Amino acid sequence: MTLYHFVGLGMALFAIGAAGFFIRNNAVVLLLCIEIMLNAVNLIFASFARFLYGTEGQIFIFIIMMIAAAEAAVGLGIIIALYRSHKTLDMSLIKDLKG
Amino acid sequence: METVIFWILSAFAVAVALAVVFFKRAVNGVMSLLALMLALAGLYVLMGAPLVAFFQVIVYVGAVLVLFAFVIMLLNLKESVQPLISLVDVKAVAPAVLFAVGIVVLTWLALRDAAFSKAAALQQPVIGLRQIALDLFTKHLLVFELASVVLLVAAVAAIVISRKEGERP
Repeated sequence: MTLYHFVGLGMALFAIGAAGFFIRNNAVVLLLCIEIMLNAVNLIFASFARFLYGTEGQIFIFIIMMIAAAEAAVGLGIIIALYRSHKTLDMSLIKDLKG
Repeated sequence: METVIFWILSAFAVAVALAVVFFKRAVNGVMSLLALMLALAGLYVLMGAPLVAFFQVIVYVGAVLVLFAFVIMLLNLKESVQPLISLVDVKAVAPAVLFAVGIVVLTWLALRDAAFSKAAALQQPVIGLRQIALDLFTKHLLVFELASVVLLVAAVAAIVISRKEGERP
């Protein structure tokens, strides 16, 4: 195993999450795709921390996990408020901001 | 042996990531994401970062995904069970593929001729838990404390956003 194996896997996961963010309409699935992307970045951080021999990579991962937990809490709060006001989670039906 | 485990875990991770994108119901997506998190925890153990694997299981699987499952049950969506696979937004497929391929190609070009090729196959000793803890609570103490403030603010914000209009929290 080399650095490139882990970085390649992280890039593949990030690409899947980014593509999923474009093609899905369900708001919960969009948040799940963001989580996939955050995890891909975590994997790349961990592999660089391993192969360049530093502690900063792993400390970055802990901070990213804390921010991801905060993001999930706020995102799910927004989804609950959205469902209450629009009675749907289909993002193609929610176009209040469309001018 | 390690290489075989790496390929098994990474193939599994890519498969369940695709399952998250293509499953129609959000519950199936959350369960697939749980499998992805566990596969990534296995990869962290494989690359010699057991502390990260530990936090991955506790924070992501134990807190974030349970929160997702909880909200999906709370909303009580009237989703049809069939079909299992979601129809995708046809207009968005071309930009999605372009964006994903663009990310991969650009990152690969940036990494290919960088100075990392020397370090790529180096078998260095694994960083110990003691070193990480010392660095986290001395060099990076301010970031750590700021992150806890962010968590507190986010918890309050989530309560304020999700309560009913005019309701006292």
